[in-house]
Amino acid sequence: MSIKTTSDQNKTICDQHRRGFLQDLGLGFGSIALSSLLRTDASARSAVPGFAPRAKNVIWLFMIGGASHMETFDPKPMLTKFAGKTIDETPHGGVLKSPYLANERVVAFDPNNGFIRNEIYPLQIGYGHRGESGIEISDWFPHLSQCADDLCLIRSMWTEDSNHGAQLQFHTGRHRVDGFFPTIGSWATYGLGSLNENLPQFVVMGTPVADCCGGQECHRANYLGPQFDGVPLDVDSDTPLPYAAPPAGVFQEEQAGEFELLRQLHQLSSNQFPDDESLRARIRSYELAFRMQTAVPEVVRLNDESELTRRQYGLDQNETKVFGQQMLTARRLVERGVRFVQVYHGSNGGAGHWDSHSGLKANHSKLCRQTDQPIAALLMDLKQRGLLDETLVVWATEFGRTPGAQSSDGRDHHPYGFSVWMAGGGVRGGIAHGATDELGFHAVENRHYVTDIHATLLYQLGLNSQELVVEGRQRLEKDFGHVIHDILC
Amino acid sequence: MSRILLLIVVVFSSCFRSFAVDYLTEVKPLLEEKCGACHGVLKQESGLRLDAGSLVRLGSEDGSILDVAHPLQSRLIKRVTTTDLSQRMPPEGQGASLNDRQINILVKWIELGATSPVDESVITSPKQHWSYQRPVKRPLPITESNPALHNPIDAWMLAKRRETGLVSTPQADPETLLRRVYLDVIGLPPTIEQQDQWLEQPDPKNWSKLVDKLLDDPAYGEKWGRHWMDVWRYSDWDGYKEEVRGSQPHIWHWRDWIVQSLNEDKGYDEMVAEMLAGDEIAPEDINTLRATGFLVRNFHKSNRDIWLDATVEHTAKAFLGMTIACARCHDHKYDPISQQEYYSLRAVFEPHSVRTERLPDHPDTSKQGLPRAYDADLAAKTYLYVRGNEKNPDKNRPLEPNVPSIVGTTFQVDSILLPTVASHPFMREHIQAENVARLREELKQASAAVTSHTEGHSPPIARQSLAVAKANLKSAELRWSATKARLLSESNASELAVQAANAERSLQFQQSLLSVLKHRAAVTAAKESAQTDEAKKKQAIDAAEKQLAESDKQLVEASVKLVESDTNFTPVGDSYPTTSTGRRTALAKWIVHPDNPLTARVAINHLWLRIFGEPLVENVFDFGLRSSQPVQHELLDWLAVEFVDNQWSMKHIHRLILNSRTYQLSSSLEHIETAVLQRNLSIDSTNHYYWRANVRRLEAEGVRDSLLSVAGSLDRAMGGADIDYQDGETNNRRSLYFRHAYEKQMQLLVTFDAANPTDCYRRSESIIPQQSLAMANSPLAMDQARILSQRIGKEIIDDNAFVNAAFRSILCRRASDIELSTCLHFLKKQTNLLNDKSVLLSAGVAKATVEPAAESALRARENLIHVLMNHNDFVTVR
Repeated sequence: MSIKTTSDQNKTICDQHRRGFLQDLGLGFGSIALSSLLRTDASARSAVPGFAPRAKNVIWLFMIGGASHMETFDPKPMLTKFAGKTIDETPHGGVLKSPYLANERVVAFDPNNGFIRNEIYPLQIGYGHRGESGIEISDWFPHLSQCADDLCLIRSMWTEDSNHGAQLQFHTGRHRVDGFFPTIGSWATYGLGSLNENLPQFVVMGTPVADCCGGQECHRANYLGPQFDGVPLDVDSDTPLPYAAPPAGVFQEEQAGEFELLRQLHQLSSNQFPDDESLRARIRSYELAFRMQTAVPEVVRLNDESELTRRQYGLDQNETKVFGQQMLTARRLVERGVRFVQVYHGSNGGAGHWDSHSGLKANHSKLCRQTDQPIAALLMDLKQRGLLDETLVVWATEFGRTPGAQSSDGRDHHPYGFSVWMAGGGVRGGIAHGATDELGFHAVENRHYVTDIHATLLYQLGLNSQELVVEGRQRLEKDFGHVIHDILC
Repeated sequence: MSRILLLIVVVFSSCFRSFAVDYLTEVKPLLEEKCGACHGVLKQESGLRLDAGSLVRLGSEDGSILDVAHPLQSRLIKRVTTTDLSQRMPPEGQGASLNDRQINILVKWIELGATSPVDESVITSPKQHWSYQRPVKRPLPITESNPALHNPIDAWMLAKRRETGLVSTPQADPETLLRRVYLDVIGLPPTIEQQDQWLEQPDPKNWSKLVDKLLDDPAYGEKWGRHWMDVWRYSDWDGYKEEVRGSQPHIWHWRDWIVQSLNEDKGYDEMVAEMLAGDEIAPEDINTLRATGFLVRNFHKSNRDIWLDATVEHTAKAFLGMTIACARCHDHKYDPISQQEYYSLRAVFEPHSVRTERLPDHPDTSKQGLPRAYDADLAAKTYLYVRGNEKNPDKNRPLEPNVPSIVGTTFQVDSILLPTVASHPFMREHIQAENVARLREELKQASAAVTSHTEGHSPPIARQSLAVAKANLKSAELRWSATKARLLSESNASELAVQAANAERSLQFQQSLLSVLKHRAAVTAAKESAQTDEAKKKQAIDAAEKQLAESDKQLVEASVKLVESDTNFTPVGDSYPTTSTGRRTALAKWIVHPDNPLTARVAINHLWLRIFGEPLVENVFDFGLRSSQPVQHELLDWLAVEFVDNQWSMKHIHRLILNSRTYQLSSSLEHIETAVLQRNLSIDSTNHYYWRANVRRLEAEGVRDSLLSVAGSLDRAMGGADIDYQDGETNNRRSLYFRHAYEKQMQLLVTFDAANPTDCYRRSESIIPQQSLAMANSPLAMDQARILSQRIGKEIIDDNAFVNAAFRSILCRRASDIELSTCLHFLKKQTNLLNDKSVLLSAGVAKATVEPAAESALRARENLIHVLMNHNDFVTVR
């Protein structure tokens, strides 16, 4: 038989003796089958041996444009102390001779942006010690600060691209020049499959990255095949999913009648072609599709939530409404077993709103306000429902911003050192892992390339990133990343 | 180590009883993946080779690496399990360590005696790899006078089946066969009339005629054009807003060239040559220049390295099945290709660039034109990038263009002198004629504007506009003469140049004068305006006066220049190098040389894949050392030679295949005896030996085109500019004509695994609920269902006949009795349901174009049609 789940390369996903079983379960959607396998079969392809997964779901928040690490999660008082001086005039001029500078790779020279800025720009916001742990978080996150003891700050990230192709790089682990590759969400779902057959397993919310910077390739599966692509969900729409409802004028009962006839005809065919696995998969895909039509609108029906919950997520305020809806939907999705929820914040059709080459203070204070309360509400809500233990929340951005000033009141792109955080899913809370130097220039302690986040996340899901390989598609060492064991419970 | 060993023991007891280890499918691929780079035919670290069982048993220069009595003590096992990182294989940075399952496989294999097939071939040099040997036609294995074996494909297939004891399925029934061949050749299902025609006399003679007829149908070029567009990476332009970042606008000319070339059955060799070097082979011929879209497609605005890397990588993958891109940073790990060879191949492309040729009647090349390749920088140097780092070129050693030596055929570069129109495209006759005609037309209009007034009363601006138009025409005519004279080194060239330069200065003077007049009028208008806000009025007057002052100044400058005299006129168009390096022609000749062992095989494999759903060589873009000799090796070679011997005619190969019994086998297992079937499945469950037809899913374009086709809505117009991808549900053209680029793809097609525009040597065949949603809910499917229902209903009143016509239109087969009764029952039930719409719940949102029928019984029929369009068989080729 020649029926495949997807391209030839993916055949290896199912070992020979598992094939029949897999195909029986409906190939494409998927890896439903594989997920059951992984949970029952310790020798499964990509599982971490002898390790019980800590997390079931991931919520991946991505700030488009490059949030300043110095004004969010990595306080650098030296910037205020040396404000106005050049880097060379500080005692930390060594940063400009660091070998780490060689990590930078540029797609195309941009005469305006992507430079090291020499004149130190002071911190634009204060910091405080938060929670019992006392980790420092900027004053622009009053709500999130209340969750400090659940946050694991990672202050020692680095990447290669000094331009916004870094958005793509954070999702695939590859520089923009190298092309397109499967993204972290697709790897996770490829390895695990769905917990809820009525919903897509990898959902994307918010306006995606613009095509300058990777576009939809930031949530697609590339060679893993379309069944592992992130499925965009439009929270604020009559049609949250493409083709999720029939054309106007069609009646529910009418369509149900059609589906019933289709089922009967398929059954007749399947008597005639008992060995046709693709037919069985097709039958199943129609059953799933029919149920998705109901499940998808249901999941975005936020009016089902209590008034209090809606207020907590900021649905009653213009500034927080959009992101609040997405956060609340994110919770509803993981609650229903969606594996990977990716939410973009800050799309502006180009480099992204967080990209504050000038007016950083006004920019970041506003964007932080848009996200702070909804994210905090999400964490608290997950915790209260007992979901935070099994849901790994990641907050990331493509790079940090320069310690030096650009156009007098902004900061330029900075790939050499920046911050992300994780919470829940078996990650230790209330800690700050890794560090940048005094100026916030280079990650110097426990340095992590972006795929270390991928490896850690996959590990918590019970997957070994090194094993996620598809025949005929070479992955480089740096694609796999290294698990950050220090931050795990 | 102890932890791992413990685990092995545990897993041993639980797992191994149920699964024996197979050397060929488990051990060999594992060793190849993990150890192949350093312990194979290319490289033998410590004198050890692991690419054949016999070589593993032979061991390294230090002796045996296996201990069958104590598998865990084998050096092979110790080296892959040790915790001493300096000892562990694969070494750090050269691949992930083996996991427990993989270690288990090796341990078990050793325990069972480390056996391998005795006939496993061992090559002593990479040159001996099967795909680097020139293909030969071996004598056909079976020469009985059985007419069934007149087709060589069948002869090879039967011989293999006999060896293995497999028995094939019978020929597929005529209905299935007809639909299969229509979809495979033209990508559209047969109409009821076409079905009737065939079913009247479905014999071999008519079959051959049918095959010929389909191959002659222009739709063949569209269907197969799309296949080759996958392999050749067709992409329309992409970019942000109007900025072109990848590929080029108007590259659809290349698509049309592909479709037309296939329909003309142009030789594959010619097609390859024209795509790589059409500008050198036929520099004047616009039609041939279209072919260079293959190169143009790689255009990458922001980075020349990405542009050339893609060109090198995909030229090698598409035509040679060679993964040369792996040698960009270091020598190829698995194939005999050095890093230098990578850059030498890049040197072939180094001089080339892209420009847009102006086409007759389309003076504005941003609206219409022909993007084409040409050698722009003849002196461009190629350097090897040390470790692939573009910041670190080895400038001491510029590289000459060359090709990978493993292939062995000669590569000879001869520079090419280009004809005039190739280097001076403005010399194409239509361009001067069009430009001058346009200026004459402007003059005519300017003149009319003046004469519309009584003599002496025409406004000064109109009169001056006429003067400008006259000067413009004169300047243009003189510039044409002077440009041509200079180009052809005519004796009066410098005299004409002086005249042209003078005319240009006159034109500038007249234009400046016109500008002054216009600005004067603007000042007057500003002063006389009805604006009541004094401040605003003053502002407007000031602005107008400032502009007037500026144009006064320019007028003075232009009049001063009038007394100058020189030969500095502006040529009428851009000129380009008068020679081309000939490098790409040399490459093309090398690729399509009959002695090149790869080209024909790779092409045959692509053709085969797209008819049988499976290729003969599993990885269609890698015929290197990791690609083991295919099961149907002799057949592949036979076809490859046959292909070359028949002027690389693809239609010839199609004919051979489509007329074979192998192609016509049934995919169904209904008519095969249970015992035989079970034996077949136990020998070859994956159908490597083609004992049955493979069931395949229609490709994305086939799904959409079939929907439109069965409803009679398909617009068969061919060619032309790319259509907006967002119009896919309302525009009824075939799918290949819609824009297809990064971020610009039709959702419906993407859902059905459309080609990834950046790289698609083989389509995926997924089955996902989004496809079901698309078929069930797209306005397109709904519209077409309603249209088809009306069409059938026009002639057929009886429900019985309606159901049958519906089955035949959509699924190209009659309904079985039970299908018929099921559908009739549905029609009744659905009609009843729809009779009282007041109790029904509305479900829909999106907008369909065609309204549902008002009458319940007719609407139920539309529902039935819609269901059949959602039937698995509709998207399946059986």
